[in-house]
Amino acid sequence: MNALFITIGQNLFFVFGLLACAGAAAMVLSKSAVHSVLSFLFSMIMVAACFLCLSAEFLGMAQLLIYAGGIVVLFLFVVMLVELTKYKEKSLFALQTKWSIPLILVAMATFAYTMKSNLFNAPASVALTLPPDLVQGLSVSAQNAQSVSRGLFAGFLLPLEILSVILLVSLVGALVLAKSERVA
Amino acid sequence: MMTPVQQVVMAIIQITVLVSIILLIVPLMTFAERKVIGYIQVRLGATRQAGGIRGFAAGINKLSWAMGRIPILSFFRGLPVFAADGLKLLLKEDIVPDRADRFVFVIAPVICMIPAFATFAVICFYPGTLFTFPTTFPIIGGLPFTGFLTDINVGLLYIMAVGSIGVYGIVLGGWASNSKYPLLGGLRSAAQIISYEIPLSLSLLVAVVLSGTLNFRELSLYLAGVPMVTAAGEIVQMPLIAAIPLFFGFFFYITCGFAETNRVPFDLAEAETELVSGFHTEYSGMKFAWFMLAEYANMMAVSAIAAGFFLGGHYLLPFGLQRFVPDSIPFLAQPSLLFFFGKVFFLLFTFLWVRATLPRYRYDQLMSVGWKWLIPVTLVNLVIAATIRLIF
Repeated sequence: MNALFITIGQNLFFVFGLLACAGAAAMVLSKSAVHSVLSFLFSMIMVAACFLCLSAEFLGMAQLLIYAGGIVVLFLFVVMLVELTKYKEKSLFALQTKWSIPLILVAMATFAYTMKSNLFNAPASVALTLPPDLVQGLSVSAQNAQSVSRGLFAGFLLPLEILSVILLVSLVGALVLAKSERVA
Repeated sequence: MMTPVQQVVMAIIQITVLVSIILLIVPLMTFAERKVIGYIQVRLGATRQAGGIRGFAAGINKLSWAMGRIPILSFFRGLPVFAADGLKLLLKEDIVPDRADRFVFVIAPVICMIPAFATFAVICFYPGTLFTFPTTFPIIGGLPFTGFLTDINVGLLYIMAVGSIGVYGIVLGGWASNSKYPLLGGLRSAAQIISYEIPLSLSLLVAVVLSGTLNFRELSLYLAGVPMVTAAGEIVQMPLIAAIPLFFGFFFYITCGFAETNRVPFDLAEAETELVSGFHTEYSGMKFAWFMLAEYANMMAVSAIAAGFFLGGHYLLPFGLQRFVPDSIPFLAQPSLLFFFGKVFFLLFTFLWVRATLPRYRYDQLMSVGWKWLIPVTLVNLVIAATIRLIF
């Protein structure tokens, strides 16, 4: 019994990964746009579960909070407000089949190669960790969120700030677009 | 160290106990809602399904009526209403509208309810062992029964993440009904919840900035103002001046919590007088009950978070004032389950109190309160907290 639970625990990543893929497939294949968004939501939650299985708690929660809680809600909002029923017969999503199939095959081969070389081979010789001067007074295994924040705000402060400026620019851009529409 | 089997069995036992407590409190809350609002509006509230009051109690009842007072027992008449309510919802016909999207219509109450209950997984009701199972028990003998389900180090993020999933239930329920009023209610609710999530998170960040941790147990211990040992082994204590942002943060958090749970004065998703009853107009029977369960479970979660972070958690005094209680006092200086639940019940009462007192906001007022007032003031509060953290 104990051994069974340990095996399940070690293989949960694959379970959640497969479920995430199933959600993505359902998103593409479902007829109704709202069902697509629901499958997307399911897929996002499963990706968060994958992060949790890799003991990246902070990343998993951020995935839930930002993608599942924020972005997919906006998708849902747009899909619900835009009338998609009139496109039902026109098979809107099946226009580029002959181009997409080879592309998907190439992408799948790439992913399969990456998975084979990363998941089933020996682990990397040097683990990806913070420099030792950043982790003083921190137990990295128990304090995942704190370690990530040390890395972000001490190790990579400048890239983070530049990233925030980019987000600010897009925010202001969205505001300008919305405003000019209202004036006109 | 527990073996995996013990962990699973233990988790199942704890989850069962926790869910039973929630499912017991929720119907009692609906009863309390009728009674408290009745009392505030100077009437008796629900008094049917009362049973007879006989013997000595009946004599007291008659005496107080004769003295021109409402007898205290009358306030508990109608207590069986909550059982009748549950039974009615279970036995009622379950109607799905003809043109509704069946799958989404059925799954919406579930999406609403699961996050509401999942929030309780990280809430710490007591920061230690409540009791130990006797060794005669088969699998779990000698194991401690802790006052919390899990003690993960991203507890607060988990609460916010799971809480942000709950909005799907309302929006999808409104959309799937394929009817005007539910759709309007669902859309209003989505805009409202997304808007109020920002000040809610900002007011909770005050607690995070002050304590430097995301773990619910550590947060509540630190913010109660008692010395606490961190995961890295240091002993830390909150500076007294941090009580100021904590005090204001509590009120901001509770305001946003009212909006997040769709309660009066922010109940625009339901708004009986304008939207019939909003997103759950087309729901009946057990599906409707699940929406109600989710709403009341969310109220409990908001109350528990406010009690844990701002009101001193398992200790007596709120806002980090616990340090003024000397250790020599036997009961008051120790953490206790009673203090925590006392605060939770007081906050639940506040939900009803506000419902009986305040009128509903208009939609544009709601939005301007959220974006033009709450976000700036919570940001200022956060800056104050960060300054305190930097200096002291």
